[in-house]
Order: sequence, then C-alpha cells, then structure tokens
Amino acid sequence: MAAGLPRRIIKETQRLMQEPVTGIQAIPDESNARYFHVVVTGPEGSPYEEGVFKLELFLPEEYPMSAPKVRFMTKIYHPNIDKLGRICLDILKDKWSPALQIRTVLLSIQALLSAPNPDDPLANDVAEQWKTNEAKAIDTGYL
Amino acid sequence: MSEEMKSQESDNDSDYDQSDHMDDDDDYCGYYDDPDDLDNDKPKKTDDPEYFEYELLQLEDVERFLNEEVEVLCSSQKIKPSLAKMLLHAHNWKKEFVIECHSKNPSKLLVDSKIIPKVKHQVAREDMYDLSCGHMFCGECWDYFCQVQIQQGTTLGIQCMANDCDVLVPEDFLYSVLGKPDLREKYSRFSFLEYVKSHPALRFCPGPNCPIVVKSKEINFKCGIEYHAPTDCDVIKKWLTKCADDSETANYISANTKDQCSKCKYDFCWMCLGDWKAHGSEYYECSRYKENPNIANESVHAQAREALKKYLFYFERWENHAKSLKLEEQTLHKITSRIQDKVMNSTGTWIDWQYLLDAANLLKKCRYTLQYTYPYAYYMEKCARKQLFEYQQAQLEAEVENLSWKVERAEITHRGDLENQMDIAEKRRLTLLKDFLDI
Repeated sequence: MAAGLPRRIIKETQRLMQEPVTGIQAIPDESNARYFHVVVTGPEGSPYEEGVFKLELFLPEEYPMSAPKVRFMTKIYHPNIDKLGRICLDILKDKWSPALQIRTVLLSIQALLSAPNPDDPLANDVAEQWKTNEAKAIDTGYL
Repeated sequence: MSEEMKSQESDNDSDYDQSDHMDDDDDYCGYYDDPDDLDNDKPKKTDDPEYFEYELLQLEDVERFLNEEVEVLCSSQKIKPSLAKMLLHAHNWKKEFVIECHSKNPSKLLVDSKIIPKVKHQVAREDMYDLSCGHMFCGECWDYFCQVQIQQGTTLGIQCMANDCDVLVPEDFLYSVLGKPDLREKYSRFSFLEYVKSHPALRFCPGPNCPIVVKSKEINFKCGIEYHAPTDCDVIKKWLTKCADDSETANYISANTKDQCSKCKYDFCWMCLGDWKAHGSEYYECSRYKENPNIANESVHAQAREALKKYLFYFERWENHAKSLKLEEQTLHKITSRIQDKVMNSTGTWIDWQYLLDAANLLKKCRYTLQYTYPYAYYMEKCARKQLFEYQQAQLEAEVENLSWKVERAEITHRGDLENQMDIAEKRRLTLLKDFLDI
C-alpha cells in the first residue's frame, strides 16, 4: 500500500474537484497528494456566517482504515474546537468508518459549526459561556 | 481432582525452591501466599473469612477451561463455537444467563450482543463479503481494515466497516479475510487475553510477565486493585483517589505539626500526642477519631477544618502503617541473616529458627490488614457498628504493636511467648475480618 497513491484517494480527489460541495473547497498540496488545503465558509444562519475558515486535512498511511487528521488553521471561537484548532468530533475518533470520505468529514465539520455540542467540549471556557449565555457566546463568535 | 493435585504439587515445588536460596532471594512479595502460615492444617472456610479455593492454571489449561465453557453453550443451544464465544464474551461469561436468553428469544440476544443488526441492509453482491448486517465490502478492504484494527490493539471489539453499524466481526469471519499469518497469531493472542479479562473467575497473576492464571473456584474476582480487606472495592477506590488528590495538603500539615519535645522527656503517645500515662489500659483509644459533637452548629470554616482534621487523622494512621510495613521488610531481611549466622555457628538448625520468619511474616500480614481498616473506618457512618469496628481495630492495633515489639526483641523473647503473641494477633485479625469483611 505504501507505494503509490491508493485508487480510493485518487478517486476521492477527482470527485472533490469535479463536483465540489457548496461552501467547501479542498485542494491537494502540490508536493503531497495526501495533504489537503481546505477552506470552509461559515454556514448561513450560524454565528460564523460570512466567515472564511482555513483547515488542513491529512490522510494517514492507513487511510481509509483510519480517520483523516483535520485541524482548523484559522482561529475560531467554538466549544468543540480548541486554541490549536483541534476538533472534537466522534467520526474523527472512535466512530470513524472506512465508509466515510473526505467529503463527508468536511460536511460534518461544517455541520458542527451550525450546531455546536457544548456537552462534549474541548474548549471548556467557550462551552461554559455557550451554556450560560448563548447570545453573548454567539456575539463573541462573530468577532 | 487431578488438576488440583497438580497445582498443589507445583506449589510445593516453588516453596522448596524459595527456601533453597533464601538469602539471595529478596523479592518476596506476597502477604497471603504462604501456604503453611501458622497452622499446618488447612484452614476451613468457616474459620477464615479470607479463605477461598483456587487453582493456578497454565495458559493451555485456561484455553481448555474456556473451550469447555464454549462447548457447553454450543451443545445446549446448537450454535457455532465462534458465536458461542462472542455471546459469552459479551455477557462476561454468564453461561446460565446466555442460555436462558438464547432459549427464550435468540434474536433479541443476538441484537443486544451486537452480533446481528436491528435492520438488515439488503444489497447482495457476489464478489463481496458482509457480516450479518449486509454491509458489503470487498475482501481486500476487509483484510486491510482488520490489519489496521489489530495493529491498533482492537480484537474482539472490531466492528463492521459501515458508518454507524456496530455489528461485531466474528472470529471465523476475521480468519477468513485476514491474510498475514503474524497478525492472525496476534489476533489469537490478544483475543485470548480479552477472554480471560472478561471472565469473572479468572485473573492473570499481577506479577510482571507472569503467565499464570488464577482461577477461583467459588467467588468472582472483583476490582483487581491491591488486596484491601476489610475495605470494599468502591470505598478503596474513593479513598485512593482522595489520597492522591489531597496528599500534598496532608504532607504540608504533617510537616508543620510539632512532633516531639526532646528536652523535657515528656512521655507521649505518638499518635495523639497526649500523655502516655493517661492512656491506661485502653491505650489504643487513639485509633478512634473523636468527632466534635457540636459540629452542625459551627461555621462553614470550622466544618472544613473539622473535615480536614478527620481525613488527616485517618490518613496519618494509614500512612504510618504503610511505612511500618516497609520497615517490616527490613526486619525480615535482618531475621533471615540472623538465622543464617546462628545456623553457621551451630546454634540450632535452620528449622529451629523458622518460627522467627513465621512471626515476621505474620506481623506483615496483620499490619497490612490494619492499614486497610482505616479507609473503611473513615467512610463508615457514625453508629454502633462503627464503635464495634473501632474497638476491634484498637484491639488489633495493640496486639500488632505487641507483636512488633516482640519480633524486634526476638533474641530475648521466649519462643513460647512469641508464638502466643502471634496466635493472639492473628485471632484479632480474623475476628475483625469475620465481622466486617463482606464477600
């Protein structure tokens, strides 16, 4: 498996380029086809609307048998994303399935922006704020 | 029966081994593994609350034992061994329970055990393989998927590849897709460990790299923390966590508490720092914590102080016994070398001096139990039972100190006197355990 790029990755990349998802852009790095530069726009109606967020996505050697590694490069105020941009999302951890794809992972991340989950927080202060004063938290998110 | 004989035989073997090179064998680590502790007659369940029957198994024996369990289920329910294994593992080897559920409503049991799905996926493809759930994947993907899972340490918990499907991969399916022989071997090794861990009557010996499995014949093993009678598993967990949390505070306070006046030679009790003379006959009153009776009316601050005081009281005693236990270890060494000297100088034979070693071992055992009475007392509600417990604890404490004193001065203590003291201490220990150890 080490030699060359698995067919699955090639196919996924092709499809991402040919039929892009609205609000999501994923471009493979020129020197490493397993590394993607991702841009996600904040979903409509969420505090992140009109925001543009850069992410990096890396497909490890075992992909698709283990989950891609994804991280926010742009700072974001969100209860499930910490200061370093690490994301708390079950499908990136124990709920990963090889039947998922880069496309579905990015869609899930976009959905996480619309619906934060303050009960499973990574950034405790943000989650606390979100629970006690949602309006103020959303306000901070806008900045 | 022959099984038991064999394990006993090997027991004796190792004993013989130990005594052979006693002086350079300093990793004596069990308090309870000496088969001929005090009396040579085997203790009966009725007079020893800690006694339970067990045998020591080699890995092949364990495998045979587990296979027998599987076989019983297979033949009673007419199912495949791999399925029977999964069912037993999913329900911690409660064979009767599995048999009962399977005869009543097999499909419900299979769904609950994540062996068949709630809803079956219906797209059959000829060149692909699925578990019972119908999610089809090609053989190459299954192979690679299982490889990665095993390398990450998952074995019996490997689930279907489909998103949100938690149906487990059965052993025979896995072997049918997994190519690499080294990973097949790894799978069989790891899953065996999982089976042993999930079986309530089996435990690996906690010694590092020891391949022996202990099989209990009547009781189930519980938490696997170091032995902690009479305190029960939940309480000892709470206590150990508490100690880990608060230990620094406790250290600070003990470090800043005055201990001794070296000038006036005031004869004090090192536990409560009170006048030793006032202790009289009930001198181990100070293993009992005296609560402030008016505490409910005090301020929050005073209550916090009282809580800390109470914790420190028990912690200090717990800690002291732990330290003393380490010292007993040294005593044991000293005694061993002393015996060696005596035998060399022809003052008695090695056998003549064995009682000294027995005494030191018994002292360790009693102190060990005593140490673990303090967490128990700390979490006990204030009631008559607690009074009884603390009375017995004080009695044991007194006898342990007596024994310790006599063991240290074993040269001048009469052998009969020492053995008498051993008997008293062990009786106190057993009385306490009989009344307060719940199995």
